[in-house]
Amino acid sequence: MLSLIIAEVIIALICWQLSGGGLIPTPLKVLQTLGKIIQDPSFIDNLFSSLVLTIKGMFISIVIALIISYLSIVPFFNPIARFVIKCRYLTLTGLTFLFTLWTQDGHELKLSLLIFGIVPFFVTSLLSVIDGINKQEFELCTTLRMNSWKTLWEVIIVGRLDQVFEVMRQNFAIAWLMITSVEGLSMSEGGLGVMLIRANKYVQLDVVFGTLVIIFLLGIFFDYILGKFREWLFPYTKLTTR
Amino acid sequence: MNANVYTKHAPLLTAEHITLQYGEKTILRDINFTIHDIHRPDMQQGQVVSLIGRSGIGKTQLFKILSGLIQPTQGVVKIDSDQHSVKAGEVGIVPQNYILFNHRTIYHNLKIGLDNATVKLTEDEKKRIIEDYAGTFQLTEHLKKYPAQISGGQRQRVSIIQQVLTGNKFILLDEPFSGLDILMIDKVIQLLIKVSTLHEENTLIIVSHDIENAAAISDTVWILAKEENKEGATIVQEYDLCKMGFAWQPEIRKEPGFQELISTIKKQL
Repeated sequence: MLSLIIAEVIIALICWQLSGGGLIPTPLKVLQTLGKIIQDPSFIDNLFSSLVLTIKGMFISIVIALIISYLSIVPFFNPIARFVIKCRYLTLTGLTFLFTLWTQDGHELKLSLLIFGIVPFFVTSLLSVIDGINKQEFELCTTLRMNSWKTLWEVIIVGRLDQVFEVMRQNFAIAWLMITSVEGLSMSEGGLGVMLIRANKYVQLDVVFGTLVIIFLLGIFFDYILGKFREWLFPYTKLTTR
Repeated sequence: MNANVYTKHAPLLTAEHITLQYGEKTILRDINFTIHDIHRPDMQQGQVVSLIGRSGIGKTQLFKILSGLIQPTQGVVKIDSDQHSVKAGEVGIVPQNYILFNHRTIYHNLKIGLDNATVKLTEDEKKRIIEDYAGTFQLTEHLKKYPAQISGGQRQRVSIIQQVLTGNKFILLDEPFSGLDILMIDKVIQLLIKVSTLHEENTLIIVSHDIENAAAISDTVWILAKEENKEGATIVQEYDLCKMGFAWQPEIRKEPGFQELISTIKKQL
């Protein structure tokens, strides 16, 4: 499988190289620019800024999403959780002005918008995890004389922690995708998104492609790391039923 | 051991006029039966009874009513020597797919049973009890494994012991022989006999469509079926296998009389 992937990537790169030139930079040109971007002293600051914002946004979002999702099992909070899910269809651009009024500085604005953008996706995935719980697990808890709190802890919280981690892994992509748009709202702190916007503005397409490659590779790296973390923290997820 | 020497004592579980309706549709109709405490000399003899019926007849609904998980439209289920109405948590259940906590090891799955038991124990006592049971039921080498790492038969054993450790004297088993090969069925039968003889009041209620295997280990069999021109399943026949001389005999399947009984039951379903 791995050799097939490698072969396909090589073929795609060759096709790109042969059809490239002109406006679209060739892979070799992108590779050269990539080297320059990495050697640029401001690159580490930009990378660090994006990573901090993403991790901070992810952490706060998962906490908020977990609270909303766990509360959704209480009938009063269920409609609220269902409304949050629908907020996926709200565009961030339309809400920027409102958030600018509510927040105190550029960092807070970016963070708030990022959280607002991610939470509905997290809640959607977490609610589907909760909805997918087999009713018999709750019945088992009843026959084992567990009270409601113990049942909530055992079945929904601890019992689904591995799936919460998986939700986090899958939605990291959305956070990573949003970061570049959100960073454009306040460029003073820098970030990969700011690099991308500036390069686009001056039609430095080789820098745009180079930055995109960095964003892409970092996304894949985090996806892999979070997957490995999940296997390490929850070894039973790797096991298949005999 | 003479299988003919036994006495029946006070009722341990009584189902009185159980009716279950969903809207206009009657699922179960006027179900009545009593499980008595059976005594045999020089041994702890629990009760093993079977409710036999065809698939889709309403066995699972009756199973849930008996365990207090759902309330019948009419009627009541009474348990224990004081015959109080059953409450959810007083009757253990072993579902057909042997639900366990997949994020816990077998040891911890069993420990959850003890953690919620009426008798409070120290951690050392719990460990000793779990190891004892694991030894008796051939699970010692699996204690550190997760449910996904053990076979269906082993999961079934864990599921049954989990309920025993919680202190549930009444355990309902939903189709315990379903999907098992002939060797595994023999092992399950041995396990059920062992559990039923752990305590005088232990009562296993098998809900199954497997007539032969269920009857082979039961002291009483009830047939759940629909009567002609009447909606909803009810008990159409009771077989007291103790009185008939078919109870507690390991080689009962070879008896022609037992085989005749199986044929008769098949015709009633």
